[in-house]
Amino acid sequence: MRGVFWRQLLRFAILHVPPWIEPIVMAFWSAFFLLWGPGRRGVMRNLKVIKPGSFGIANFFRCYRVFWNYAWTIADNVRFKELRTIPDWEFAGLDHFQAMQASNGAILLTAHMGSYDLGAHLFSETSTRRIVMVRAPEEDLETREFEEHHGAEGLRIEFNTRATELALDLLETVREGAIVAIQGDRVMGSISTLPATLFGKAATVPAGPFALAMAARVPIYPVFVVRIGRRRYRLVTSRPIEITRSRNRDDDFARAVAQWMTELEDVVRNCWFQWFTFEPYWPEAAS
Amino acid sequence: MNVIADKPEAHWLPSRHRFALSRLIAYAKLRRARAIANNAEHLILPIDRDQTAAEMNGVALWVFFTTVCYIAAVLPLILPAAIVAAIPLAAIALQFPIVGIGPIVRMLLGDGDHIKIISVITMALLVIASSYFAVSSSWPRYVAWFFFAVLVVNGAAALVVWLLRNGIREAEDRCAR
Repeated sequence: MRGVFWRQLLRFAILHVPPWIEPIVMAFWSAFFLLWGPGRRGVMRNLKVIKPGSFGIANFFRCYRVFWNYAWTIADNVRFKELRTIPDWEFAGLDHFQAMQASNGAILLTAHMGSYDLGAHLFSETSTRRIVMVRAPEEDLETREFEEHHGAEGLRIEFNTRATELALDLLETVREGAIVAIQGDRVMGSISTLPATLFGKAATVPAGPFALAMAARVPIYPVFVVRIGRRRYRLVTSRPIEITRSRNRDDDFARAVAQWMTELEDVVRNCWFQWFTFEPYWPEAAS
Repeated sequence: MNVIADKPEAHWLPSRHRFALSRLIAYAKLRRARAIANNAEHLILPIDRDQTAAEMNGVALWVFFTTVCYIAAVLPLILPAAIVAAIPLAAIALQFPIVGIGPIVRMLLGDGDHIKIISVITMALLVIASSYFAVSSSWPRYVAWFFFAVLVVNGAAALVVWLLRNGIREAEDRCAR
């Protein structure tokens, strides 16, 4: 669903819906969005791959669960921006998280799940390290202006449109000791990619985070923000992916991508209801 | 916003609950709670009145159930069919104060957080509907009586919470330390 109208409606709801009828409103709108054919079909096709042999009717109800979680997640994100309301946070893999904070520059690699934005905001508020988020820009100009106007303070957001220029900027930023947060599960727009395998099927992932880690000689930390209940999130940090340089660059990347895909597959398998990928992820799922 | 770190028992801080009855139950739980094992490696709990899922989901279900009964009662259908039809209608009806009154409130008061005023209006509409059904002779009068019983119990709990306010504050301070 694109367009500024939905953003405005969500913001209006956050500022007007009493919390004690919020679950009903969420249930209603999650059901309403099942009418969104492309999104529903995209989620159901992805579920077919994540859960091989699953029935269409079961995946329809699973799709509702994905929409339900997505509704709560984006609501929590807007609530934070507008009312500074933060959810409960649990941390798993705290050692890795602390190592990332202590490191002199790192890449935070995450996926379209839970609340990426909320996690980044939490990080920017609790860490002394500067965090820079890289994300795909909103296609619609009005939506982009709305997002810029209603963005949270203390967080630098870069859009992955001007590839070469941005790569140099980010390289410098990482070398200065900042943490660059990138979503590394799916490719959006015309960016360079690396081949990968997810759930036994061929896929592609953005090459940017891996190339940046290699150039800056910093580790990649897989971080997932998982919604575990109403206004409750778990921040899961996995062991870092170190990209060792050898004579064969492709092999170096392949090893790093394989480790990332293992982490991603594990999280998506356990939290499929929070993988917010509304387009068919695998080319064969699209067909 | 204040937060408490690495104290799972802070889940039961009365300040993390909205309604008096819920705050009273939370206080009783907090008094009994000793150091609960912390399953998470690190825990951050904000002190916000709308933070507790059980309370908010419970109230939402109660309000929804009440609205379904009232709508089912006025539908010209046999009861099972009326209840089935009333479920989506209740979900829509409960949004009327938000989409119907919300824009007016926004126009009068300007952009900003209007949750409190919409909350009061929604509850007032529920009280009006419950008053109507409570004095009728149809079956939803029992639902309406239950609605008022909950309000009365919550009112009594508010009085007890006010009487215990010092004890509650001390228990919260102990937990936060």
